[in-house]
Amino acid sequence: MSKIELEACAECDLLLNPALPEMGEKAHCPRCGNLLQRPRKQSIERTFALSIAGLILIFPANLLPLVGIKILGNTKDGNLWSGVAALFQENMWGVAILVFLASILFPLLNIILSLLISAHLYFNKPNAHLARWMRWLQHLDEWAMLEVYTLGIIVACVKLASIAELKFDFGLYAFIALLIITGMLSSSLDEYLFWKQIGELRQKVGHED
Amino acid sequence: MENYARKLAMKIEKSALTQGLIRCHECGCLTRQTSHAVHCPLCDSPLHARIANSFQRTAALLLSSLSLYIPANIFPIMTVTQFGVGEPHTIAGGIIALIHSDMIPIAMLVLIASILVPLLKMLGLGLLLLCVYYRWQINARPWTVMYRIIAFVGRWSMLDIFMISILVSLVDLGGVAQIIAGPAATAFAAVVVLTMFAAKSFDPRLIWDIQQ
Repeated sequence: MSKIELEACAECDLLLNPALPEMGEKAHCPRCGNLLQRPRKQSIERTFALSIAGLILIFPANLLPLVGIKILGNTKDGNLWSGVAALFQENMWGVAILVFLASILFPLLNIILSLLISAHLYFNKPNAHLARWMRWLQHLDEWAMLEVYTLGIIVACVKLASIAELKFDFGLYAFIALLIITGMLSSSLDEYLFWKQIGELRQKVGHED
Repeated sequence: MENYARKLAMKIEKSALTQGLIRCHECGCLTRQTSHAVHCPLCDSPLHARIANSFQRTAALLLSSLSLYIPANIFPIMTVTQFGVGEPHTIAGGIIALIHSDMIPIAMLVLIASILVPLLKMLGLGLLLLCVYYRWQINARPWTVMYRIIAFVGRWSMLDIFMISILVSLVDLGGVAQIIAGPAATAFAAVVVLTMFAAKSFDPRLIWDIQQ
């Protein structure tokens, strides 16, 4: 099959000549303004490095207490899991599952998938699952909500400040570091380049067969 | 950016579909529309020129979220018990409590995230559906921008849910102070998830298809 040297905008389906923006520039659709491409410097290397950093940070951020409170001599710490556990105990399992997915499982899967994909691309190793992983990553991205969770912590702390003494634990610093890393991770991942590389790796395998 | 716009624009504005090309939803590669091309050659995902049943799915999800928005606002989202005296809070009640304790910026934040965003989002999606259904001839670009904003802001409504999960786990000190999540939390969480799915199932290319 002949290769089609054209592109289409994802949001308005306008047929376009391929945009070839320089590093650091952005290409937008001329008709609807949708961001088409945003090439990043060393996208694969950075994604690889950041996902390793994220994978290390996710353990202290998940397991260590984030915030502690003290009311009339009673103290209590909370981490990412205790919120889920408390909701489960109150039979709010729907909300508990949602919080678990958005604040624990999906951020973890996001990092693991980024690591797997960028490692394969970095070492030029073809894998039959690469395209599937990339699809999962694109769908999961929206549902990993660490930054929204951070805002939740802030609002909760403001609400508690009047009735309790607050104590910020080491887990919170790990959590904030993880938040920054995942933010950098999603901005370093150039989807256009990743798909192109996945396609090229796939062709390489096809020729060897 | 300007020179790209010039370089990109073809002589006549044509959509890929009218030229017999299908853009893969996942990886963006173009495939010629044939009877046997059902999977993308690059990533193997099923090919659809437009999101399948986009209108019906978006409308169904939107109506479900709209009906859940009512219990989400009527019922208490959490109950705060201090020294044995329980006080249920609705979403709006929580915002009023924040205003009373002079936390205006935080109150604004919660107001935006848990009341304005879901409401405006449902309104916007409703307008987009009406536009497609009645084939309104409009300037499609601002409508696409509206869609883009709707798709982006939805997740921030989870703020309230996360805040409750933190409060519930921390403030669990028996008779002294206790916070329990209320039935509205489930309804509100469902509203957020359903509107996110609704935004995802709406295909903005439908707005462009109907313009003549």
